[in-house]
Amino acid sequence: MSILTVNLKHLYQRRGLWLVYVILVLFAFAGIAVLFKGPEAGQGRFIGLIVLAFVIGLLLAVLPLEVLSKPFSYCLPGHRKMVRRLVFCVGIVFNLLASLLFFIYPDLSVGQLLLVVCSAFVAGLISYLLGAGLAFGIRNSVAFIGFLPLVIVTGGFFDLHTVLERVIVENPLVVISVGILSSCVVWFWLGDEGRARRYCNVPWVGFFDAWNPDKMKRISRIRMAGKWKKLEKYTNLRIENFYLGRMNRYDYVSAGRYIWGALYAASVAPVLHWNSILSIVIMVILMSFLLGYMGPAATFMFFFIPIMIVMNMRLPVHSSMLISGGRRERFAGSIAAVAAAVVPISVVVIAMVALSMLLEMVIPEFTWRGVNFTYRVINAGNLFIPLVITPFAFAIRLIFYRRPVYTMLLLMLIIYLMIFTALIWSKQLSAMINLISITAMLVLGWGTVLLVLRYVCMKRSLTGNG
Amino acid sequence: MNNEKPIVQMRKVCKRFGKIKALDDINLQIYPGRIIGLLGANGAGKSTLLRHIIGLYLEDEGQCVTFGCIAGKLGPAELGRIGYVHQEGELLDWMTVRQFIRYVSAYYPNWNRELEEKYIEDFEISTRARVGSLSPGQRQRLAILLAIGCEPELLILDEPAAALDPVARAQFLDLLLQIIQAENRTIIISSHILSDVEKVIDHAVIMKEGRILLDCSFDELRERFSLVRISALGKELPAELPFENILHCKRSDGQAILTVQDCPPEKLQEQAKSLDCWIEIETLPLEDIYKIVVSKKENVTGV
Repeated sequence: MSILTVNLKHLYQRRGLWLVYVILVLFAFAGIAVLFKGPEAGQGRFIGLIVLAFVIGLLLAVLPLEVLSKPFSYCLPGHRKMVRRLVFCVGIVFNLLASLLFFIYPDLSVGQLLLVVCSAFVAGLISYLLGAGLAFGIRNSVAFIGFLPLVIVTGGFFDLHTVLERVIVENPLVVISVGILSSCVVWFWLGDEGRARRYCNVPWVGFFDAWNPDKMKRISRIRMAGKWKKLEKYTNLRIENFYLGRMNRYDYVSAGRYIWGALYAASVAPVLHWNSILSIVIMVILMSFLLGYMGPAATFMFFFIPIMIVMNMRLPVHSSMLISGGRRERFAGSIAAVAAAVVPISVVVIAMVALSMLLEMVIPEFTWRGVNFTYRVINAGNLFIPLVITPFAFAIRLIFYRRPVYTMLLLMLIIYLMIFTALIWSKQLSAMINLISITAMLVLGWGTVLLVLRYVCMKRSLTGNG
Repeated sequence: MNNEKPIVQMRKVCKRFGKIKALDDINLQIYPGRIIGLLGANGAGKSTLLRHIIGLYLEDEGQCVTFGCIAGKLGPAELGRIGYVHQEGELLDWMTVRQFIRYVSAYYPNWNRELEEKYIEDFEISTRARVGSLSPGQRQRLAILLAIGCEPELLILDEPAAALDPVARAQFLDLLLQIIQAENRTIIISSHILSDVEKVIDHAVIMKEGRILLDCSFDELRERFSLVRISALGKELPAELPFENILHCKRSDGQAILTVQDCPPEKLQEQAKSLDCWIEIETLPLEDIYKIVVSKKENVTGV
């Protein structure tokens, strides 16, 4: 079995990728359906395939990168040259198939069609290699996929899709020439043997590593090792003394000592790092600005804030660092840590709404390319959404502590259910949402968290495999 | 018969992780004032057993009692008497070492500042560094300091020397011996570095696939297994040597090297005399004893 075959097998051996395939197939299906619905020239509808090629290039390149970062692969015979063969092999096959769809491009003679198909193949390959190049050039570039909708919307706003389609159809020879040249450049670039040395044993967040808490912890420890040194001068003795003073007010066997200890461990870190505060402030400003132009869709963005915070939190429940607190003390400390997380979530959400009120007064209405841009204040009535979702996110996180992927999938499912419910029964729901129902939901949510937390603290294994 | 009261008692403890039986019918009693070596291959169940003692894991069956309290219900009063160095090395990375020591010490009424300072000096721990910026070896030293700083009656060390360099390991072993000199201190040490462990332990527990294969005093263990060198003084050695319980035999040019079990030296000497042989009896290193125990389960169980 050749090295290339072994690496190609990863494409189906990694079961986590099957979910990615389902998503990609859905997108591809939607794109193709649009084409067959009524292929029209110059509408830019064919560009969806080129964008898909970029995504596939980005995702595919992560696989050999993960292998390269494993020290064992450095010594595997012939493995260093495998990267470019794998990248080009998948790229050529995918774009060959995708470019065949250009045969339905209307109003072209057979000769022209053949040229256009070649041009589309090469354009797809360029896009694919751009994605792969990005993956190799920038660490953990898969995150860029998150920005893709923004790029597509912005591109659509500037009619980039029609421009690109015209270039492919009207200048096939130019596209083919550029494609051959860029492919040659990437071929030699990917063949660089020094690459294997550079990636060897580098902590790399792979496809599904975000769901592997142990690995993420290890990677973050390695990455942060150098950075922590720079933060030495930010040690805040006053905060330290404050928390230790509070702890010392209580007896050694008192839960109060553990509550203050958990608060100290949970909440001081972000206070000490001014760059963390700065990034939060920037995020709040940006989000407030964007949400103001998104209208009702802004509501849905609120759903994700608590999930992001909760997913990245580590409660003292599962700490393997032994202090003298037992299970009861862990329970008390965890409640304090949960409370410490709810405060910043609420502050961020309230700050966004308040800022949007200010921005509404300052930002004037304007028209650009025929589109009216009016900044609207974020609906303060939606504040309850993150506050209601947060406890459920905590409860799910606690139940599936060892399986973060289940946590994420379940939370996404809940969010989509809420979105669909809101879309279908918006009127009925609006009538139902009042102070009583919100209070009831909050009580139910936090009651569930307390029950789950107590169960985990008292009845479950607290660390490792348990 | 031991008249002392055990500080840890495990009775028929079983623990499963899915289909894997991590602990299988564990019966173990740990008495004060001992250094117990918990030995076993990866996945033998050593860490799982240790985590049961401090109540991080709850048993599926059986019962684990530590300091007279069911392990799952241990509170600050009992846990304050236990020091634990864990495999994961989980510490609060954002704190400075000084801050972190201060934070952990705030949980213990009998924290020994003198010991802390001495250890910081001996092990060259930089108190101004961030915990997250420490090398694995330095983290391990810090974890050891935190575990011993509260002067625990029971010190549990789960692979404590894995990240230490040879000099630090030697210092660490000296430290263990110093700790044990204090009255009623008990240490449970799980390690793969058997050459280090055998310098300090006085009791051995060997585990395999979640079961305890052997639980006895280290002296007793060493007496049970011997390496015997036999050289013929005059004639050739007989084809079949008359010794009992030979586990391994290697012969060459009128010489034989035997590994024997449960054969007293006097008896060996006597038999050698009858064969007109010169005999030399040595104790086996722990590493060899361990290999014998885990490979020949049926011969050594039921100790």
